[in-house]
Amino acid sequence: MTIVAMVIAFFLALVLETLPSGPVYGMVHPDFVAMLLLYWSIRSGSELSYTLVWLIGLLQDLVMGDVPGGQAIAGVLMIYALVNGLGRVRHLSVWEQLVFVFMLLLLHRLIVWLWQLWSGPLSWHFSLFLSPLIGALLWPLFTYLLDGLRHYLKTSP
Amino acid sequence: MPALFFPRRYPPLLRVAAFVLLSIAVAIFSEKHPDLQGWSGNLTYPVHWIDMQVAENWGALHQYLQDRSELLAENAQLREKLKVMEPQLLENAILHNENRQLLALLDSFPQPPGKMAVARVIAENFSPGSQLITVNLGSHNGVQVGQPVLAAGGVAGQVIHVAEFSAQIALVSDLDSSIPAQLAGTNIPLLVNGKGHIHTLSVPFQSRNTPLKTGDHLVTSGLGGRFPPGLPIGTISGVVHNGDEPFAQISVRPSVSLGQLSTVLILLKNLPPLRHGKP
Repeated sequence: MTIVAMVIAFFLALVLETLPSGPVYGMVHPDFVAMLLLYWSIRSGSELSYTLVWLIGLLQDLVMGDVPGGQAIAGVLMIYALVNGLGRVRHLSVWEQLVFVFMLLLLHRLIVWLWQLWSGPLSWHFSLFLSPLIGALLWPLFTYLLDGLRHYLKTSP
Repeated sequence: MPALFFPRRYPPLLRVAAFVLLSIAVAIFSEKHPDLQGWSGNLTYPVHWIDMQVAENWGALHQYLQDRSELLAENAQLREKLKVMEPQLLENAILHNENRQLLALLDSFPQPPGKMAVARVIAENFSPGSQLITVNLGSHNGVQVGQPVLAAGGVAGQVIHVAEFSAQIALVSDLDSSIPAQLAGTNIPLLVNGKGHIHTLSVPFQSRNTPLKTGDHLVTSGLGGRFPPGLPIGTISGVVHNGDEPFAQISVRPSVSLGQLSTVLILLKNLPPLRHGKP
């Protein structure tokens, strides 16, 4: 049941990533897929399969139409940093996690950005910081909603 | 959660390194086979389909909620506009006729515009650098890679990937976009490049004593055969001569409001296939 819920959650996250709502939304909206990966990794307790993380990232690359591999490797490195560098994040409160979530989302964003070197020069923009910041600020609400959803799925027959 | 490919007994750093190599391999592979990226549009169509439904319903809801008086005011405004436009239209028709006569004298009739298709924007990707939109027409409707895309005002971009029922368009503001252009009314060849931001384009490689100045209009030159000549691209919004840099920095404001595209026009005509992924 939880697996089905996660699949639907990732699908909705991909929809939100590409929603045609103008350039401002496009630049500042948080990376919902990366946030879901973080949530999943923090809550599941055991180590996520890197293969699965990589495949989800690759699917996101294809949906967005960027050079494939960027989101994929950013996801793997982000989860690696979370599990091996910041293992204790799991035991912190949601509000303390917020700082680490910002750093991890920023790492993810910068790797995706650097991956564009494949197709040409890079272009710097302040929204590189804005999107992870908004993602981190939404983190408490995000975990609250997903925790509620999981609780509902566990208790409902 | 079991490991799928790489067993857990390998150290994590080794597994991560393997995925870095795998990602690089995928990127190289997709550059060698650009049509594969188009095909992947079929795989991701369900996501774009939901995007389209959300966008359409949102628009319908917005329309429903709009006040009746607001609509009446808009209607009156449009009527006024029509009154002004009608004589202009007549004038245009006269000019068009005259133009045809002059062109006949020169014996250089332009190619008539081919078939066109109106496409709806169903998904967007405006992350820094990327300026991509996805539309609801694909190879099923005759869309091909490299076809020019227009919108109200002028050139919007060109098709870079095509799936069965969707196609991806790189806007002129995309970092990889470059269009052969000229100063309106002259034959000075120029390029207009995207900078990865929606509001500005740039003209590269212009010497410091360039004749271009603020307010000049740039149109497509038709060189390369991809875009028909004479379509508006943008207006020069600034020319900066910076200290010891060899070239002037020229910024261009696109004539299409790229951020508010909901429908675009794709010029369907047969083109030689592209050799590289992104033009």
